[in-house]
Amino acid sequence: MITDETLMLEFQAGSREALEELFARYRGPLYGFFRRRLNGDQRAQDLMAEDLMQETFLAVIRATARYEPRATVKTYLYGIAMNLLLAERRKLLRDAPAGEPPPEPATSDATDALLWIRQALAKLDDGDREILMLREYEQLSYSEIAELVHAPVNTVRSRLFRARMALRDCLEPGRKTHEIVATNKTPEIGSLTRAEGEAI
Amino acid sequence: MKNTTHPIEPEELMAYLDGELPAEQAKQTAAHLRECGECSQIVAGLRDVSTKLRSWEAERLESSLPEAIADALVLRKKTLPRTNLLSDLLNDWRRRPVLAWGGALATILILVGSTVWYISNNASVELGDVRQMKEPSREQRLEWNVAQSNGGRSPAEQTRSSSVAHSASADKAMVSGLLESAGNQPEARNGRDFDQATRTPVSSGPMIVRTADLQLTTKEFDKARAAVESILKKHRGYVGDLKVADTIGSGHTLTSVLRVPADQLDTTLAELKTLGRVTSESQSGQDVTSQYVDLQARLANSRNTEKRLTDLLSRRTGKLSDVLEVEQEVDRVRGEIEQMEAERKTMANQVTFATVNLTIAEEYKAQLEAVPPATTTRLANAAVAGYKSLVDGLLDLTLWLLTSGPTLLFWAAILFFPARFAWKAARRKLAH
Repeated sequence: MITDETLMLEFQAGSREALEELFARYRGPLYGFFRRRLNGDQRAQDLMAEDLMQETFLAVIRATARYEPRATVKTYLYGIAMNLLLAERRKLLRDAPAGEPPPEPATSDATDALLWIRQALAKLDDGDREILMLREYEQLSYSEIAELVHAPVNTVRSRLFRARMALRDCLEPGRKTHEIVATNKTPEIGSLTRAEGEAI
Repeated sequence: MKNTTHPIEPEELMAYLDGELPAEQAKQTAAHLRECGECSQIVAGLRDVSTKLRSWEAERLESSLPEAIADALVLRKKTLPRTNLLSDLLNDWRRRPVLAWGGALATILILVGSTVWYISNNASVELGDVRQMKEPSREQRLEWNVAQSNGGRSPAEQTRSSSVAHSASADKAMVSGLLESAGNQPEARNGRDFDQATRTPVSSGPMIVRTADLQLTTKEFDKARAAVESILKKHRGYVGDLKVADTIGSGHTLTSVLRVPADQLDTTLAELKTLGRVTSESQSGQDVTSQYVDLQARLANSRNTEKRLTDLLSRRTGKLSDVLEVEQEVDRVRGEIEQMEAERKTMANQVTFATVNLTIAEEYKAQLEAVPPATTTRLANAAVAGYKSLVDGLLDLTLWLLTSGPTLLFWAAILFFPARFAWKAARRKLAH
């Protein structure tokens, strides 16, 4: 199978088929990326996720020349996706009337399991949640996540561990084997949290 | 948090699950997990969390490329710098020649097709009428066939032929007038730079290849034959093929393929029909406009390709194999151009000149056999035949002897003495 990086270089050289192949590979994952991170009405979420997914590819097309093979296509795409998501969140925050809390996740047709997942994730620290989601849903490696969130790999690992433990405790209430609380913040993650805090 | 009783930290257990530990460490962790129940519990807990989280499926799979992205791709292609276009062309040409040429061909076809459509559309009202006038309607043709299949020259048919002749000449006047106005005026008026071929009058309007089949029976064959030639001369036509056969028992038959200018076809046919009784007649018109336009577009495209390749050869330097490859491509494209050019000429000729397949049969009159030859003549003939047969036989024998004689003599000389010895021995044996 042709690697993503080769496809990207082919697309840079003008091959339309290469982008079509990349699109076929990443359409689903990117849609899922946005879909899981958006709140509000379910239908609106679907549409917005689709729009943002397309916007990601449009950004790739517009900035073809900027891609350099030293980064993997996966992190490049998710990097663009994260920027778009932050911009979208900022826009929503600006447009929303003052004093009104952000819309809660849609629960109308959500199953119990999904409800649990969303509630458990909502309890996590923003930075931890992002790292956990990138690992669990986007299947990124520790180093890819580190590159995306601009943090050292060890920090990513410890935050991921903390988030998972917090979720496990949620899953089995009353059990606290490890004294790890999801809301604890270590100095090295301060920058990331602050950046995201601004966005949300 | 450092666990003092376990050699492996919980975080490392997680990294092990995620496949993020170095091979050696992963091996140690696996070994520890087999022994340590507490660590196994932690791993199971982590697994549970992952399993539960991954049950949230949000991916949606669709295959087609959204319009917005397809549009952006088209836009990007247009705004690509010129140098990139050239390198793209070269890359695509090396990797996927069919795609590259196919794409270029399709674009040029669309451009040429739309131009031709636009030009022909300007005169569409007039030309639509021309086509209707030029081609006899289906009903009209059927009527003709029915009348002709009745055989004989009925009074009704007399009327028909005169009316057809009349309408044909009227058609001719109208058609030529309209063709002139449709074909020549735009050129004179707008002075558009048409392709060389489109300057011929036939290609300005709809291009119809007209073919007529006509079978006549005549009593005066020689006169009819001479008349055919004079009719052709009068209408500036020529004979494509002509055969005259004289079969015993069926009289003379003339089979010919005549080519007459398309606008003269109707008058020519009317005149030919006066040469005898019409036994069969049919006409057909095949519209080849789209084929012709398509051919021209392909031709223009191939010429462009040839030019581009020649430019490439003259401007760029490269490996010898590349240069040879380009030269081969140039040869191939030139071959295609020549072939298409010939095809275009043939098509234009078919449109300019209508084809008339004319058959004239002499009305056959049965005749009594001539008187058989006299007995003396027959005897003399037999004698001559006998003499000829004798001479031929002798000659054949001499030839055979000359050919095979030496070989026979050779073998006879070799076998003579042993054979004589054997013969004598046998006789001696018998005597005793």
